[in-house]
Amino acid sequence: MSGRSVAIVGGATIKFGVRAATWPELVQEAGVALTRAVPELRADDVDSLFVGAAEPERFAFQSHVAPLAAEQLGLKPHRILQRNELACASGQSAIRSAFAAIASGLSEVAVVVGVEKMILPSMAEANTAMGCAMDRPWDGPAGATAPPFFAMVAQRHMLEFGTTAEQLAAVSEKNHRFANTNPSAQFYEKTFSRDKLLRLPLIAPPLRLGDCSSMTDGAAAVVLTSEDHVREYTDTPAWVRGSGQYSDFHNLANAGSLTEWNGLTLASREALGRAGITVGDLDLAEVHDCFSISEIVEYEALGLCPRGEGGKFAADGRGDLGGDVVINPRGGLLGCGHPLGATGVAQAVEVYEQFAAAVPPARQVPDPEWALVHNLSGSANVHSVMVYQRGGAA
Amino acid sequence: MSAERPRRRSTAPAVMAEPTASTVPETRPAEPSGPAPASKPREKRPFLLDFFPLETPDQTRLHRFYERLREGYLSTTRCRRDGTLHWPPRTACPSCRSEELDWVDLPDHGHVYAFSAVLAGAPLGMEDDVPFAVGLVDLDGAPLRLFGRIEGRPWTELRIGEPVRTEAYDIGDGRMFYRFRTIG
Repeated sequence: MSGRSVAIVGGATIKFGVRAATWPELVQEAGVALTRAVPELRADDVDSLFVGAAEPERFAFQSHVAPLAAEQLGLKPHRILQRNELACASGQSAIRSAFAAIASGLSEVAVVVGVEKMILPSMAEANTAMGCAMDRPWDGPAGATAPPFFAMVAQRHMLEFGTTAEQLAAVSEKNHRFANTNPSAQFYEKTFSRDKLLRLPLIAPPLRLGDCSSMTDGAAAVVLTSEDHVREYTDTPAWVRGSGQYSDFHNLANAGSLTEWNGLTLASREALGRAGITVGDLDLAEVHDCFSISEIVEYEALGLCPRGEGGKFAADGRGDLGGDVVINPRGGLLGCGHPLGATGVAQAVEVYEQFAAAVPPARQVPDPEWALVHNLSGSANVHSVMVYQRGGAA
Repeated sequence: MSAERPRRRSTAPAVMAEPTASTVPETRPAEPSGPAPASKPREKRPFLLDFFPLETPDQTRLHRFYERLREGYLSTTRCRRDGTLHWPPRTACPSCRSEELDWVDLPDHGHVYAFSAVLAGAPLGMEDDVPFAVGLVDLDGAPLRLFGRIEGRPWTELRIGEPVRTEAYDIGDGRMFYRFRTIG
Protein backbone atom coordinates (compact mmCIF):
# COMPACT_ATOMS: atom_id res chain seq x y z
CA MET A 1 0.00 0.00 0.00
CA SER A 2 1.21 3.51 -0.64
CA GLY A 3 1.79 5.81 2.29
CA ARG A 4 2.99 4.80 5.73
CA SER A 5 2.08 1.46 7.21
CA VAL A 6 -0.71 1.67 9.76
CA ALA A 7 -1.72 -0.79 12.47
CA ILE A 8 -4.32 -1.31 15.11
CA VAL A 9 -2.36 -1.47 18.36
CA GLY A 10 -5.14 -2.24 20.82
CA GLY A 11 -8.84 -2.12 21.43
CA ALA A 12 -11.72 -3.03 23.66
CA THR A 13 -15.41 -3.87 23.45
CA ILE A 14 -17.95 -3.17 26.18
CA LYS A 15 -20.90 -5.39 27.03
CA PHE A 16 -23.39 -5.50 24.16
CA GLY A 17 -27.07 -5.93 24.92
CA VAL A 18 -30.06 -4.19 26.42
CA ARG A 19 -28.10 -1.69 28.46
CA ALA A 20 -29.29 0.66 31.18
CA ALA A 21 -27.05 3.36 29.74
CA THR A 22 -27.33 6.37 27.45
CA TRP A 23 -25.31 7.12 24.30
CA PRO A 24 -22.76 9.34 26.13
CA GLU A 25 -22.47 6.75 28.90
CA LEU A 26 -21.72 3.97 26.41
CA VAL A 27 -18.94 6.14 24.96
CA GLN A 28 -17.40 6.66 28.40
CA GLU A 29 -17.57 2.97 29.13
CA ALA A 30 -15.69 2.27 25.90
CA GLY A 31 -13.09 4.84 26.91
CA VAL A 32 -12.55 3.15 30.27
CA ALA A 33 -12.26 -0.24 28.58
CA LEU A 34 -9.78 1.13 26.03
CA THR A 35 -7.63 2.64 28.79
CA ARG A 36 -7.49 -0.74 30.53
CA ALA A 37 -6.67 -2.55 27.29
CA VAL A 38 -4.04 -0.03 26.13
CA PRO A 39 -2.51 1.42 29.31
CA GLU A 40 0.27 3.03 27.24
CA LEU A 41 -2.25 5.33 25.58
CA ARG A 42 -1.89 8.98 26.69
CA ALA A 43 -4.63 11.44 25.85
CA ASP A 44 -2.07 14.05 24.80
CA ASP A 45 -0.71 11.73 22.12
CA VAL A 46 -4.11 11.23 20.48
CA ASP A 47 -4.33 13.80 17.71
CA SER A 48 -7.49 12.51 16.02
CA LEU A 49 -10.82 10.94 16.94
CA PHE A 50 -13.18 9.19 14.56
CA VAL A 51 -16.65 8.32 15.84
CA GLY A 52 -18.59 5.58 14.06
CA ALA A 53 -22.26 6.27 14.76
CA ALA A 54 -25.13 5.45 12.44
CA GLU A 55 -28.18 7.15 13.85
CA PRO A 56 -27.58 9.08 17.08
CA GLU A 57 -30.05 11.68 15.79
CA ARG A 58 -32.76 9.03 15.78
CA PHE A 59 -31.79 6.83 18.69
CA ALA A 60 -30.40 9.46 21.05
CA PHE A 61 -31.79 12.73 19.62
CA GLN A 62 -28.23 13.98 19.40
CA SER A 63 -26.20 15.20 16.46
CA HIS A 64 -22.70 16.76 16.47
CA VAL A 65 -21.63 13.68 18.36
CA ALA A 66 -17.89 13.83 17.62
CA PRO A 67 -17.10 16.64 20.09
CA LEU A 68 -19.47 15.05 22.60
CA ALA A 69 -17.55 11.79 22.36
CA ALA A 70 -14.22 13.64 22.58
CA GLU A 71 -15.30 15.38 25.78
CA GLN A 72 -16.56 12.11 27.25
CA LEU A 73 -13.23 10.46 26.44
CA GLY A 74 -11.12 13.36 27.69
CA LEU A 75 -9.61 13.92 24.25
CA LYS A 76 -8.82 17.22 22.55
CA PRO A 77 -8.17 16.22 18.93
CA HIS A 78 -6.15 18.78 16.98
CA ARG A 79 -5.78 16.99 13.65
CA ILE A 80 -9.09 15.35 12.73
CA LEU A 81 -12.31 15.10 14.67
CA GLN A 82 -15.22 13.61 12.77
CA ARG A 83 -18.21 11.33 12.94
CA ASN A 84 -18.55 8.64 10.28
CA GLU A 85 -22.00 7.54 9.20
CA LEU A 86 -22.43 4.60 6.85
CA ALA A 87 -25.41 2.92 8.49
CA CYS A 88 -24.43 -0.62 9.56
CA ALA A 89 -20.83 -0.03 8.40
CA SER A 90 -20.28 3.22 10.32
CA GLY A 91 -17.68 1.62 12.58
CA GLN A 92 -15.55 0.31 9.75
CA SER A 93 -15.97 3.61 7.93
CA ALA A 94 -14.42 5.34 10.95
CA ILE A 95 -11.51 2.87 10.97
CA ARG A 96 -10.93 3.38 7.25
CA SER A 97 -10.84 7.14 7.74
CA ALA A 98 -8.35 6.80 10.61
CA PHE A 99 -6.22 4.47 8.47
CA ALA A 100 -6.23 6.96 5.59
CA ALA A 101 -5.40 9.88 7.87
CA ILE A 102 -2.42 8.09 9.39
CA ALA A 103 -1.18 6.64 6.10
CA SER A 104 -1.17 10.12 4.59
CA GLY A 105 0.81 11.57 7.48
CA LEU A 106 -1.98 13.84 8.68
CA SER A 107 -2.43 11.91 11.91
CA GLU A 108 0.02 10.01 14.13
CA VAL A 109 -2.24 8.45 16.73
CA ALA A 110 -5.98 8.13 16.24
CA VAL A 111 -8.72 6.69 18.41
CA VAL A 112 -11.79 5.20 16.78
CA VAL A 113 -14.89 4.70 18.87
CA GLY A 114 -17.99 3.02 17.47
CA VAL A 115 -21.22 3.34 19.38
CA GLU A 116 -24.95 2.87 19.01
CA LYS A 117 -27.81 3.22 21.46
CA MET A 118 -30.72 1.33 19.89
CA ILE A 119 -33.00 0.15 22.67
CA LEU A 120 -35.73 2.75 23.07
CA PRO A 121 -38.85 2.73 25.26
CA SER A 122 -40.85 2.33 22.03
CA MET A 123 -39.75 -0.50 19.74
CA ALA A 124 -41.88 1.00 16.96
CA GLU A 125 -39.84 4.19 17.23
CA ALA A 126 -36.63 2.18 17.05
CA ASN A 127 -37.97 0.34 14.00
CA THR A 128 -38.77 3.70 12.43
CA ALA A 129 -35.16 4.69 12.93
CA MET A 130 -34.06 1.49 11.19
CA GLY A 131 -36.33 2.29 8.27
CA CYS A 132 -34.46 5.56 7.75
CA ALA A 133 -31.49 3.60 6.42
CA MET A 134 -33.61 2.64 3.43
CA ASP A 135 -34.84 5.03 0.72
CA ARG A 136 -37.22 7.07 2.85
CA PRO A 137 -39.74 8.57 0.37
CA TRP A 138 -39.94 5.58 -1.99
CA ASP A 139 -39.27 2.38 -0.01
CA GLY A 140 -40.10 3.66 3.49
CA PRO A 141 -43.84 4.13 3.00
CA ALA A 142 -44.20 0.45 2.07
CA GLY A 143 -42.67 -0.54 5.40
CA ALA A 144 -39.18 -1.35 4.15
CA THR A 145 -36.73 -2.27 6.88
CA ALA A 146 -33.86 -4.73 6.77
CA PRO A 147 -35.72 -7.97 7.67
CA PRO A 148 -38.11 -8.08 4.70
CA PHE A 149 -35.31 -7.14 2.30
CA PHE A 150 -32.95 -9.88 3.49
CA ALA A 151 -35.92 -12.25 3.63
CA MET A 152 -36.32 -11.71 -0.11
CA VAL A 153 -32.62 -12.47 -0.54
CA ALA A 154 -33.20 -15.74 1.32
CA GLN A 155 -36.33 -16.53 -0.67
CA ARG A 156 -34.51 -16.04 -3.99
CA HIS A 157 -31.48 -18.02 -2.77
CA MET A 158 -33.76 -20.89 -1.82
CA LEU A 159 -35.52 -20.71 -5.19
CA GLU A 160 -32.38 -20.41 -7.31
CA PHE A 161 -30.07 -22.78 -5.43
CA GLY A 162 -32.19 -24.92 -3.15
CA THR A 163 -30.80 -23.40 0.01
CA THR A 164 -32.69 -24.62 3.09
CA ALA A 165 -33.86 -23.32 6.44
CA GLU A 166 -31.58 -25.92 8.04
CA GLN A 167 -28.57 -24.37 6.28
CA LEU A 168 -29.59 -20.92 7.53
CA ALA A 169 -29.82 -22.38 11.03
CA ALA A 170 -26.31 -23.84 10.66
CA VAL A 171 -24.91 -20.31 10.30
CA SER A 172 -26.87 -19.04 13.27
CA GLU A 173 -25.96 -22.03 15.46
CA LYS A 174 -22.24 -21.58 14.74
CA ASN A 175 -22.25 -17.86 15.50
CA HIS A 176 -24.33 -18.23 18.66
CA ARG A 177 -21.98 -21.00 19.79
CA PHE A 178 -18.98 -18.70 19.31
CA ALA A 179 -20.88 -15.96 21.17
CA ASN A 180 -21.09 -18.31 24.16
CA THR A 181 -17.31 -17.80 24.48
CA ASN A 182 -17.60 -14.00 24.38
CA PRO A 183 -18.78 -12.27 27.56
CA SER A 184 -19.41 -9.01 25.70
CA ALA A 185 -21.87 -10.73 23.33
CA GLN A 186 -25.55 -10.00 23.78
CA PHE A 187 -26.33 -13.74 23.70
CA TYR A 188 -23.31 -14.86 25.74
CA GLU A 189 -25.41 -17.02 28.04
CA LYS A 190 -28.09 -18.15 25.57
CA THR A 191 -27.70 -21.40 23.69
CA PHE A 192 -29.37 -22.03 20.35
CA SER A 193 -29.40 -25.51 18.85
CA ARG A 194 -30.38 -25.87 15.20
CA ASP A 195 -33.66 -27.48 16.25
CA LYS A 196 -34.44 -24.61 18.59
CA LEU A 197 -33.57 -22.05 15.90
CA LEU A 198 -35.97 -23.76 13.48
CA ARG A 199 -38.80 -23.46 16.01
CA LEU A 200 -38.40 -19.74 16.73
CA PRO A 201 -41.14 -17.48 15.36
CA LEU A 202 -41.04 -16.13 11.84
CA ILE A 203 -40.12 -12.44 11.68
CA ALA A 204 -40.02 -11.92 7.92
CA PRO A 205 -40.57 -15.25 6.18
CA PRO A 206 -38.53 -17.31 5.50
CA LEU A 207 -36.37 -15.66 8.22
CA ARG A 208 -37.03 -16.59 11.83
CA LEU A 209 -36.00 -14.72 14.94
CA GLY A 210 -32.70 -16.57 15.15
CA ASP A 211 -31.85 -15.65 11.55
CA CYS A 212 -31.89 -11.93 12.44
CA SER A 213 -29.35 -9.88 14.37
CA SER A 214 -30.95 -7.88 17.11
CA MET A 215 -31.34 -4.31 18.25
CA THR A 216 -28.47 -3.75 20.64
CA ASP A 217 -26.75 -1.09 22.73
CA GLY A 218 -22.99 -1.23 22.58
CA ALA A 219 -19.66 0.43 21.95
CA ALA A 220 -16.11 -0.51 21.05
CA ALA A 221 -12.87 1.38 20.54
CA VAL A 222 -9.49 0.85 18.89
CA VAL A 223 -6.22 2.77 18.61
CA LEU A 224 -4.43 3.10 15.29
CA THR A 225 -0.98 4.49 14.72
CA SER A 226 1.80 4.61 12.14
CA GLU A 227 4.77 2.31 11.78
CA ASP A 228 6.80 4.96 13.62
CA HIS A 229 4.88 4.46 16.88
CA VAL A 230 3.50 0.93 16.79
CA ARG A 231 6.16 -0.53 19.08
CA GLU A 232 5.33 2.02 21.79
CA TYR A 233 2.01 0.24 22.21
CA THR A 234 2.21 -3.42 21.32
CA ASP A 235 4.29 -6.36 20.12
CA THR A 236 1.31 -7.82 18.26
CA PRO A 237 0.01 -5.13 15.90
CA ALA A 238 -2.72 -5.84 13.38
CA TRP A 239 -1.33 -4.19 10.26
CA VAL A 240 -3.81 -2.76 7.78
CA ARG A 241 -2.72 -4.37 4.52
CA GLY A 242 -5.70 -3.75 2.31
CA SER A 243 -8.97 -1.88 2.06
CA GLY A 244 -11.75 -1.84 -0.48
CA GLN A 245 -15.29 -0.61 -0.89
CA TYR A 246 -18.04 -0.73 -3.49
CA SER A 247 -21.52 0.69 -3.84
CA ASP A 248 -23.85 0.43 -6.79
CA PHE A 249 -27.43 1.28 -5.78
CA HIS A 250 -29.67 2.65 -3.07
CA ASN A 251 -33.33 2.28 -3.96
CA LEU A 252 -34.48 -1.33 -3.65
CA ALA A 253 -35.75 -1.19 -7.23
CA ASN A 254 -32.14 -0.95 -8.39
CA ALA A 255 -30.77 -3.94 -6.45
CA GLY A 256 -30.54 -6.21 -9.50
CA SER A 257 -29.85 -9.81 -8.52
CA LEU A 258 -30.60 -10.30 -4.83
CA THR A 259 -28.34 -13.32 -4.58
CA GLU A 260 -25.19 -12.12 -6.34
CA TRP A 261 -23.40 -9.50 -4.25
CA ASN A 262 -20.98 -8.31 -6.87
CA GLY A 263 -20.10 -5.29 -4.73
CA LEU A 264 -18.57 -7.57 -2.11
CA THR A 265 -16.66 -9.52 -4.75
CA LEU A 266 -15.16 -6.28 -6.08
CA ALA A 267 -14.45 -4.74 -2.66
CA SER A 268 -12.78 -7.89 -1.35
CA ARG A 269 -10.70 -8.35 -4.51
CA GLU A 270 -9.50 -4.77 -4.10
CA ALA A 271 -8.60 -5.27 -0.44
CA LEU A 272 -7.00 -8.71 -0.90
CA GLY A 273 -5.15 -7.51 -3.98
CA ARG A 274 -3.67 -4.56 -2.13
CA ALA A 275 -2.56 -6.99 0.58
CA GLY A 276 -1.04 -9.25 -2.06
CA ILE A 277 -2.97 -12.33 -0.94
CA THR A 278 -5.96 -14.36 -2.07
CA VAL A 279 -9.04 -15.42 -0.14
CA GLY A 280 -7.43 -18.83 0.39
CA ASP A 281 -4.71 -17.20 2.51
CA LEU A 282 -7.20 -15.99 5.13
CA ASP A 283 -7.16 -17.61 8.56
CA LEU A 284 -10.25 -15.87 9.80
CA ALA A 285 -12.89 -13.44 8.63
CA GLU A 286 -15.32 -11.28 10.52
CA VAL A 287 -18.17 -10.88 8.04
CA HIS A 288 -21.47 -9.05 8.26
CA ASP A 289 -24.02 -11.67 9.33
CA CYS A 290 -26.82 -9.20 9.96
CA PHE A 291 -28.96 -12.14 8.85
CA SER A 292 -28.03 -15.80 8.49
CA ILE A 293 -28.59 -15.59 4.72
CA SER A 294 -26.09 -12.71 4.54
CA GLU A 295 -23.23 -14.93 5.68
CA ILE A 296 -24.18 -17.57 3.11
CA VAL A 297 -24.18 -15.07 0.24
CA GLU A 298 -20.91 -13.63 1.59
CA TYR A 299 -19.16 -17.03 1.44
CA GLU A 300 -20.00 -17.04 -2.26
CA ALA A 301 -19.19 -13.40 -3.01
CA LEU A 302 -15.84 -13.67 -1.24
CA GLY A 303 -15.00 -16.69 -3.38
CA LEU A 304 -14.83 -19.17 -0.50
CA CYS A 305 -17.16 -21.42 -2.49
CA PRO A 306 -18.91 -21.34 -5.88
CA ARG A 307 -22.10 -19.32 -6.31
CA GLY A 308 -25.09 -21.18 -4.93
CA GLU A 309 -23.07 -23.42 -2.62
CA GLY A 310 -22.97 -21.13 0.43
CA GLY A 311 -25.66 -23.10 2.21
CA LYS A 312 -23.70 -26.32 1.82
CA PHE A 313 -20.52 -24.51 2.92
CA ALA A 314 -22.32 -23.60 6.14
CA ALA A 315 -23.87 -27.00 6.75
CA ASP A 316 -20.53 -28.72 6.15
CA GLY A 317 -18.87 -26.57 8.82
CA ARG A 318 -16.30 -25.13 6.42
CA GLY A 319 -16.57 -21.73 8.16
CA ASP A 320 -16.20 -23.27 11.62
CA LEU A 321 -13.11 -23.93 13.71
CA GLY A 322 -11.29 -26.72 11.90
CA GLY A 323 -12.83 -25.72 8.57
CA ASP A 324 -11.36 -23.86 5.58
CA VAL A 325 -11.39 -20.49 7.34
CA VAL A 326 -12.96 -19.47 10.63
CA ILE A 327 -15.87 -17.13 10.01
CA ASN A 328 -17.09 -14.86 12.79
CA PRO A 329 -15.27 -16.36 15.80
CA ARG A 330 -16.38 -13.33 17.85
CA GLY A 331 -19.95 -14.60 17.55
CA GLY A 332 -21.01 -12.46 14.63
CA LEU A 333 -23.80 -9.97 14.60
CA LEU A 334 -26.21 -12.84 15.23
CA GLY A 335 -24.58 -13.78 18.51
CA CYS A 336 -23.13 -10.46 19.66
CA GLY A 337 -26.00 -8.21 18.63
CA HIS A 338 -25.60 -5.37 16.15
CA PRO A 339 -25.14 -1.90 17.62
CA LEU A 340 -24.68 -0.35 14.18
CA GLY A 341 -21.77 2.00 14.77
CA ALA A 342 -20.00 -0.35 17.18
CA THR A 343 -20.08 -3.54 15.09
CA GLY A 344 -17.24 -2.77 12.67
CA VAL A 345 -15.01 -1.63 15.51
CA ALA A 346 -15.79 -4.70 17.64
CA GLN A 347 -14.89 -6.90 14.66
CA ALA A 348 -11.50 -5.14 14.45
CA VAL A 349 -11.00 -5.69 18.19
CA GLU A 350 -11.60 -9.40 17.61
CA VAL A 351 -8.96 -9.48 14.87
CA TYR A 352 -6.46 -7.70 17.12
CA GLU A 353 -7.16 -10.09 20.01
CA GLN A 354 -7.04 -13.17 17.75
CA PHE A 355 -3.59 -12.07 16.53
CA ALA A 356 -2.53 -11.46 20.15
CA ALA A 357 -3.87 -14.88 21.20
CA ALA A 358 -5.96 -13.05 23.78
CA VAL A 359 -9.34 -14.69 23.18
CA PRO A 360 -10.68 -17.74 25.02
CA PRO A 361 -9.29 -21.04 23.64
CA ALA A 362 -12.77 -22.12 22.54
CA ARG A 363 -12.67 -19.59 19.73
CA GLN A 364 -8.95 -19.02 19.23
CA VAL A 365 -7.96 -19.53 15.60
CA PRO A 366 -4.65 -21.44 15.58
CA ASP A 367 -1.73 -19.15 14.78
CA PRO A 368 -3.61 -16.71 12.55
CA GLU A 369 -1.69 -14.41 10.19
CA TRP A 370 -4.34 -12.97 7.85
CA ALA A 371 -7.81 -11.70 8.67
CA LEU A 372 -10.55 -9.97 6.71
CA VAL A 373 -13.31 -7.76 8.08
CA HIS A 374 -16.42 -7.12 6.02
CA ASN A 375 -19.37 -4.87 6.66
CA LEU A 376 -22.32 -4.33 4.42
CA SER A 377 -24.71 -1.48 5.01
CA GLY A 378 -28.34 -0.79 4.23
CA SER A 379 -29.77 -3.28 1.77
CA ALA A 380 -26.33 -4.77 1.00
CA ASN A 381 -25.89 -1.81 -1.35
CA VAL A 382 -22.49 -0.91 0.11
CA HIS A 383 -19.71 -3.37 0.91
CA SER A 384 -16.64 -2.33 2.90
CA VAL A 385 -13.65 -4.60 3.45
CA MET A 386 -10.40 -4.41 5.41
CA VAL A 387 -7.54 -6.93 5.40
CA TYR A 388 -5.18 -7.23 8.37
CA GLN A 389 -1.88 -9.05 8.91
CA ARG A 390 -0.46 -10.06 12.27
CA GLY A 391 2.78 -8.69 13.68
CA GLY A 392 5.95 -8.79 11.65
CA ALA A 393 7.93 -5.87 10.31
CA ALA A 394 6.17 -2.89 8.79
CA MET B 1 -22.93 8.37 -12.14
CA SER B 2 -21.29 7.54 -15.47
CA ALA B 3 -17.59 8.09 -15.99
CA GLU B 4 -18.32 10.57 -18.77
CA ARG B 5 -18.66 14.04 -17.32
CA PRO B 6 -20.07 17.04 -19.16
CA ARG B 7 -17.43 19.69 -19.79
CA ARG B 8 -19.57 22.40 -18.34
CA ARG B 9 -22.81 22.71 -16.51
CA SER B 10 -25.93 22.29 -18.55
CA THR B 11 -27.60 25.52 -19.53
CA ALA B 12 -30.98 23.85 -19.31
CA PRO B 13 -33.36 25.60 -16.96
CA ALA B 14 -33.48 24.13 -13.50
CA VAL B 15 -37.06 23.03 -13.89
CA MET B 16 -38.57 19.80 -15.07
CA ALA B 17 -39.88 19.64 -18.60
CA GLU B 18 -43.63 19.84 -18.90
CA PRO B 19 -45.22 16.45 -18.51
CA THR B 20 -46.05 14.68 -21.71
CA ALA B 21 -48.70 12.12 -22.41
CA SER B 22 -46.24 9.44 -23.50
CA THR B 23 -45.98 6.03 -21.97
CA VAL B 24 -43.12 3.59 -21.80
CA PRO B 25 -42.69 2.38 -25.38
CA GLU B 26 -43.60 -1.17 -26.32
CA THR B 27 -45.84 -1.57 -23.32
CA ARG B 28 -49.52 -1.32 -23.19
CA PRO B 29 -50.63 1.99 -21.75
CA ALA B 30 -51.74 1.91 -18.19
CA GLU B 31 -55.48 1.71 -17.84
CA PRO B 32 -56.74 4.24 -15.35
CA SER B 33 -58.37 2.13 -12.71
CA GLY B 34 -58.87 5.22 -10.57
CA PRO B 35 -57.48 5.52 -7.11
CA ALA B 36 -58.54 2.96 -4.56
CA PRO B 37 -60.96 4.09 -1.86
CA ALA B 38 -59.35 6.26 0.77
CA SER B 39 -57.89 4.42 3.69
CA LYS B 40 -59.33 5.09 7.09
CA PRO B 41 -58.52 8.63 8.31
CA ARG B 42 -54.90 8.81 9.34
CA GLU B 43 -53.61 10.38 12.49
CA LYS B 44 -51.39 13.39 11.85
CA ARG B 45 -47.82 12.42 12.64
CA PRO B 46 -44.71 14.58 13.08
CA PHE B 47 -42.97 14.78 9.71
CA LEU B 48 -39.78 13.17 11.05
CA LEU B 49 -41.71 10.14 12.31
CA ASP B 50 -43.64 9.63 9.08
CA PHE B 51 -42.25 7.84 6.05
CA PHE B 52 -44.82 9.26 3.66
CA PRO B 53 -43.33 12.26 1.86
CA LEU B 54 -44.71 15.76 1.44
CA GLU B 55 -46.18 15.77 -2.03
CA THR B 56 -47.26 19.29 -2.92
CA PRO B 57 -45.59 21.72 -5.36
CA ASP B 58 -44.33 23.90 -2.51
CA GLN B 59 -42.47 20.88 -1.05
CA THR B 60 -41.15 18.75 -3.91
CA ARG B 61 -40.19 19.15 -7.54
CA LEU B 62 -41.66 15.68 -8.10
CA HIS B 63 -45.23 16.73 -7.21
CA ARG B 64 -46.31 15.64 -10.71
CA PHE B 65 -45.80 12.02 -9.62
CA TYR B 66 -48.35 12.34 -6.85
CA GLU B 67 -50.79 14.34 -8.99
CA ARG B 68 -50.67 11.60 -11.62
CA LEU B 69 -51.23 9.00 -8.89
CA ARG B 70 -54.42 10.83 -7.95
CA GLU B 71 -55.50 10.34 -11.56
CA GLY B 72 -54.86 6.62 -11.18
CA TYR B 73 -51.52 6.37 -13.01
CA LEU B 74 -48.11 5.30 -11.74
CA SER B 75 -45.53 7.40 -13.58
CA THR B 76 -41.84 8.17 -13.59
CA THR B 77 -39.28 10.29 -15.41
CA ARG B 78 -37.36 9.46 -18.56
CA CYS B 79 -34.36 11.39 -19.81
CA ARG B 80 -35.04 13.21 -23.06
CA ARG B 81 -31.33 13.20 -23.90
CA ASP B 82 -30.21 9.62 -23.29
CA GLY B 83 -33.56 7.86 -22.92
CA THR B 84 -32.85 6.40 -19.47
CA LEU B 85 -35.99 5.36 -17.66
CA HIS B 86 -35.61 6.22 -13.97
CA TRP B 87 -36.82 4.76 -10.73
CA PRO B 88 -37.47 6.52 -8.54
CA PRO B 89 -38.42 9.63 -10.51
CA ARG B 90 -35.56 12.12 -10.65
CA THR B 91 -35.06 15.83 -11.05
CA ALA B 92 -31.94 15.23 -13.13
CA CYS B 93 -30.82 12.19 -15.08
CA PRO B 94 -28.23 10.27 -12.99
CA SER B 95 -26.67 8.95 -16.19
CA CYS B 96 -26.05 12.22 -18.03
CA ARG B 97 -27.09 14.95 -15.55
CA SER B 98 -29.55 16.41 -18.00
CA GLU B 99 -32.50 18.16 -16.40
CA GLU B 100 -34.63 17.73 -19.51
CA LEU B 101 -36.87 14.91 -18.40
CA ASP B 102 -40.29 13.72 -19.52
CA TRP B 103 -42.94 12.14 -17.34
CA VAL B 104 -44.11 8.78 -18.63
CA ASP B 105 -46.83 6.47 -17.35
CA LEU B 106 -45.78 2.99 -16.32
CA PRO B 107 -47.49 -0.32 -17.06
CA ASP B 108 -50.15 -1.15 -14.51
CA HIS B 109 -49.41 -4.88 -14.38
CA GLY B 110 -46.46 -6.92 -13.24
CA HIS B 111 -45.26 -10.15 -11.67
CA VAL B 112 -43.79 -10.76 -8.23
CA TYR B 113 -40.01 -11.34 -8.35
CA ALA B 114 -39.60 -11.82 -4.59
CA PHE B 115 -41.70 -11.16 -1.52
CA SER B 116 -41.76 -11.41 2.23
CA ALA B 117 -44.00 -10.18 4.99
CA VAL B 118 -43.55 -8.03 8.04
CA LEU B 119 -44.81 -10.14 10.95
CA ALA B 120 -43.08 -8.08 13.65
CA GLY B 121 -40.97 -4.98 13.93
CA ALA B 122 -43.13 -2.55 11.98
CA PRO B 123 -42.33 1.16 12.12
CA LEU B 124 -44.57 3.71 13.79
CA GLY B 125 -47.93 4.08 12.12
CA MET B 126 -47.69 0.62 10.56
CA GLU B 127 -48.13 -1.52 13.69
CA ASP B 128 -51.80 -2.04 12.93
CA ASP B 129 -50.99 -3.22 9.40
CA VAL B 130 -49.06 -6.27 10.68
CA PRO B 131 -48.93 -8.77 9.10
CA PHE B 132 -48.37 -7.16 5.72
CA ALA B 133 -46.72 -8.40 2.55
CA VAL B 134 -44.05 -6.52 0.62
CA GLY B 135 -42.30 -7.50 -2.55
CA LEU B 136 -40.32 -6.64 -5.64
CA VAL B 137 -42.45 -6.62 -8.77
CA ASP B 138 -41.20 -6.78 -12.36
CA LEU B 139 -43.41 -4.45 -14.37
CA ASP B 140 -44.70 -6.06 -17.55
CA GLY B 141 -42.85 -4.62 -20.52
CA ALA B 142 -40.80 -2.03 -18.65
CA PRO B 143 -37.24 -2.54 -17.39
CA LEU B 144 -38.20 -1.72 -13.81
CA ARG B 145 -38.56 -3.85 -10.68
CA LEU B 146 -40.43 -1.85 -8.07
CA PHE B 147 -40.71 -2.46 -4.33
CA GLY B 148 -44.00 -2.03 -2.53
CA ARG B 149 -46.77 -3.42 -0.39
CA ILE B 150 -48.73 -6.31 -1.85
CA GLU B 151 -52.41 -6.25 -0.93
CA GLY B 152 -55.08 -8.77 -1.78
CA ARG B 153 -54.39 -12.32 -0.78
CA PRO B 154 -52.47 -12.95 2.48
CA TRP B 155 -48.71 -13.52 2.28
CA THR B 156 -49.14 -17.23 3.00
CA GLU B 157 -50.93 -17.60 -0.34
CA LEU B 158 -48.51 -15.52 -2.47
CA ARG B 159 -46.12 -17.15 -4.94
CA ILE B 160 -43.13 -15.94 -6.92
CA GLY B 161 -44.41 -15.06 -10.36
CA GLU B 162 -47.78 -13.98 -8.95
CA PRO B 163 -49.50 -11.51 -11.31
CA VAL B 164 -50.33 -8.19 -9.65
CA ARG B 165 -51.55 -4.77 -10.71
CA THR B 166 -50.44 -1.39 -9.48
CA GLU B 167 -52.85 0.61 -7.40
CA ALA B 168 -52.87 4.23 -6.30
CA TYR B 169 -54.44 4.97 -2.94
CA ASP B 170 -55.13 7.85 -0.58
CA ILE B 171 -53.16 7.11 2.57
CA GLY B 172 -55.88 8.63 4.72
CA ASP B 173 -54.85 12.26 5.04
CA GLY B 174 -55.14 13.41 1.44
CA ARG B 175 -51.72 12.20 0.32
CA MET B 176 -51.35 9.54 -2.34
CA PHE B 177 -49.11 6.50 -2.57
CA TYR B 178 -48.93 3.31 -4.64
CA ARG B 179 -48.99 -0.41 -3.89
CA PHE B 180 -49.62 -3.69 -5.64
CA ARG B 181 -52.72 -5.85 -5.52
CA THR B 182 -53.11 -9.48 -6.44
CA ILE B 183 -55.32 -10.24 -9.43
CA GLY B 184 -58.18 -12.66 -8.99
